[in-house]
Amino acid sequence: MKKAFVMGMLLTACMLPAFANGTSESASQNTAGSKIKFSMYYSDNATLPFKSDWLTVKTADESANADVTWEIIPIADYQTKVSLALNTGTNAPDVILYQTTKGENSNLALNGAIVPISDYSDWTPNFNARVKEMGLTDEIDKIRLKDGKFYYLPSLYDVPFYDGGPIIREDLLEKYGLDAPKTFDDLYHVLKVFKEHSPDSYPLTILAGPRVLYRMTMPSFGISLGKNSASGTNTLSWNYEEKKYFPGAISDKYKAYITYFHKLYAEGLLDPEMADPIDGDKWSQKLATGKAMATYAYYDQIGGVEGASTIDGFKLQMYPALAGPAGAHHQPKSKTGAGIMFPYKTSKRKDFEQIVRTVDKMFYSADNAKMWCLGVKGITYDEDANGNVQFVDAAKNSPEGIYKYLQTTYGCGSDVTQQVWINKREMTKYDANYAQINKEVEDMGDVIQSIPPTPKFDDAASEEAGLYQTPLSDAWERWNDAFLTGAKSIDKDWNTYVAEMKSLGIEKFCDIYNKNL
Amino acid sequence: MKIYATRSSRILDAAINIVMILTILTCLVPFIYILALSLSSPRAIVNNEVFLLPKDINVESYKQIFTYPNFFTAYGNTLQYTIFGTAISLFLMVLFAYPLSKSWLIGNRPLMKLVVFSMFFTGGLIPNYLLISYLHLTNTRWAMLIPFAINPFNLILLINFFRSMPVELEDAALIDGLDYFGILTKIILPLSSAGLATVGLYTAVFFWNDWFNGLIYLKSSQFPVMLFLRNIVNGTSMVGDAAGAADKSTIGISIKGAVIIVTTLPIIAIYPFLQKYFVKGVMIGSIKG
Repeated sequence: MKKAFVMGMLLTACMLPAFANGTSESASQNTAGSKIKFSMYYSDNATLPFKSDWLTVKTADESANADVTWEIIPIADYQTKVSLALNTGTNAPDVILYQTTKGENSNLALNGAIVPISDYSDWTPNFNARVKEMGLTDEIDKIRLKDGKFYYLPSLYDVPFYDGGPIIREDLLEKYGLDAPKTFDDLYHVLKVFKEHSPDSYPLTILAGPRVLYRMTMPSFGISLGKNSASGTNTLSWNYEEKKYFPGAISDKYKAYITYFHKLYAEGLLDPEMADPIDGDKWSQKLATGKAMATYAYYDQIGGVEGASTIDGFKLQMYPALAGPAGAHHQPKSKTGAGIMFPYKTSKRKDFEQIVRTVDKMFYSADNAKMWCLGVKGITYDEDANGNVQFVDAAKNSPEGIYKYLQTTYGCGSDVTQQVWINKREMTKYDANYAQINKEVEDMGDVIQSIPPTPKFDDAASEEAGLYQTPLSDAWERWNDAFLTGAKSIDKDWNTYVAEMKSLGIEKFCDIYNKNL
Repeated sequence: MKIYATRSSRILDAAINIVMILTILTCLVPFIYILALSLSSPRAIVNNEVFLLPKDINVESYKQIFTYPNFFTAYGNTLQYTIFGTAISLFLMVLFAYPLSKSWLIGNRPLMKLVVFSMFFTGGLIPNYLLISYLHLTNTRWAMLIPFAINPFNLILLINFFRSMPVELEDAALIDGLDYFGILTKIILPLSSAGLATVGLYTAVFFWNDWFNGLIYLKSSQFPVMLFLRNIVNGTSMVGDAAGAADKSTIGISIKGAVIIVTTLPIIAIYPFLQKYFVKGVMIGSIKG
């Protein structure tokens, strides 16, 4: 026994040095003349697992003469890893993709943990050129913090996409002789007819939980509240005419909103399971088996359901945003999105300028911007003299569609790496139907409003706002659920609710926001 | 002598059996359901045709997860962390627990208090991270093994186990000329298989399931497979800044099921092999008179 014990321990001791690799990574400083070496965090979505041999990744690396160590971090824990790297400063990578300066990052930026990249605009000529070309100079000003600087190179959109909205069984609309709904009252009527024909169903369901419904429908009522509210405050909303915040959670607009959805809930028109996040399969199940006939979700997702359903003539269609008391609006979107950040540590590298220039070229040069979207000419697509894009047969004939095929096979259109989004170029990857809906929505005017401006907080104001935000948000969530399900009466308990929100300081919270605009 | 079952004892037996069967079903049914989902076609799942038996049996989901770029690397990493982590942990804990089980040793009580203290109070995430970082353990696999080698709860289990050994056994060994190291390796350890198996299992399960430490201390090529599982099962149902993007992407439940099966089966499979150590009455007959 003793022999075996000692042997076992010896064996373990011998094997252990095998673990001691990985410390050599700090030696990633560039050697002059050769490729520039740096490390980069990538947020990895399990539906599109990163492959280092993707055509797009290789092309970008080669075109900029870069040797990138891609650190692939699962999306579920990406923010934790980034937060740790920025907070401690140790082990931070040289470049972090898919970041903004909302929330915690703005404090970190103002306290020097992140490079103010706007100070180095001479080194980002490609980024500057794309911003100018797409007319986004004003949009860039919106991401500046209190000190007037911005701390990341955002992704750029010329026209925000209408990527999700009311999705309804087109075949049933035809069968029952109904027009496609244009307003929320129409929607109520349609759902009511659906329910009459199949009393066991809950006609309207939602993918991924109430937040998707709220963020897509509230803007038509003039508010945006909850976990994915456009302002990020959860309880305040933006008045687009007066250009200031108002306490949306206690406004009459919200009262009208919750009254409408309570009515749907009470009459069995709205899926009661929506309080829990409904995952993709359950959602597909409900629609494919006819237990639900309408939903709020994203266009990308409906193809799979149509393919799986055994119902004859099953056809889902996405419609433009429905009009409510405040007009027809989809969730507000910014023309800038998450982008590229440089931790402070990177600025201490001798070749910092070269890194910034390389990253700028990799993601924002005209050629690479196009490449991240369409792939490489001759391999994934061809172009005629007029610039019309023709995809190769493998892409055109792929059962999953051009967009998804290019994504999984070549890494095109990953929102982590693609920084330049030209709507017209994007639409070449989608079917005519989607392009048509987008065109329709664009013609309707301001369906997709811009995201409200983020106040320029200093540390103290940010701290104070944070103190109000969480209790208000919790209280709203609680009351909202109660109002929706009827556990509290909107008529009788509304004043108690407003009083509670006021005692939690919703008006003061709103003042802090308006004062720091 | 034959024992005749009385009516009441038969009823009691039946009740016990029913409770046991229900308990087994509670544990087993979800697992079988997930297994069935992982082997069914997405079409059958979406049409709600799968319950305990797979429909349109295929192994597409398994094929697909095996083509994920880092799956096997991550799996290998987890195996390494579990095997070496448990070995190191048991080695260090045995050497720590044995002296602590001797209450007459000087310094025993203050040391014991330190151990118990660390059970209730920890440094917190950032200080821990900085400590590991200053020790140059981040981005090395040691970061998974060393900081968690001694778990105070398991250590106390082991101390109590050693304490329960009859002191006469050691006295006899001392008289026969063994030193304390000899007593530990020749007498105590062979008699402690139940205790070691219990603590070893707890430790192995800890290392197998641990994803958070892997996430914060390691680089992506060293990530354990549980991070992979988490991303597939949780990555698409999140809230926060990235929620917009995550809500758009859904992962088939058959793939989720396949990943759950592949990543949990090995550790579950260990239990039957350790079972015999739990039930063996090690101490029976070791002392006469």
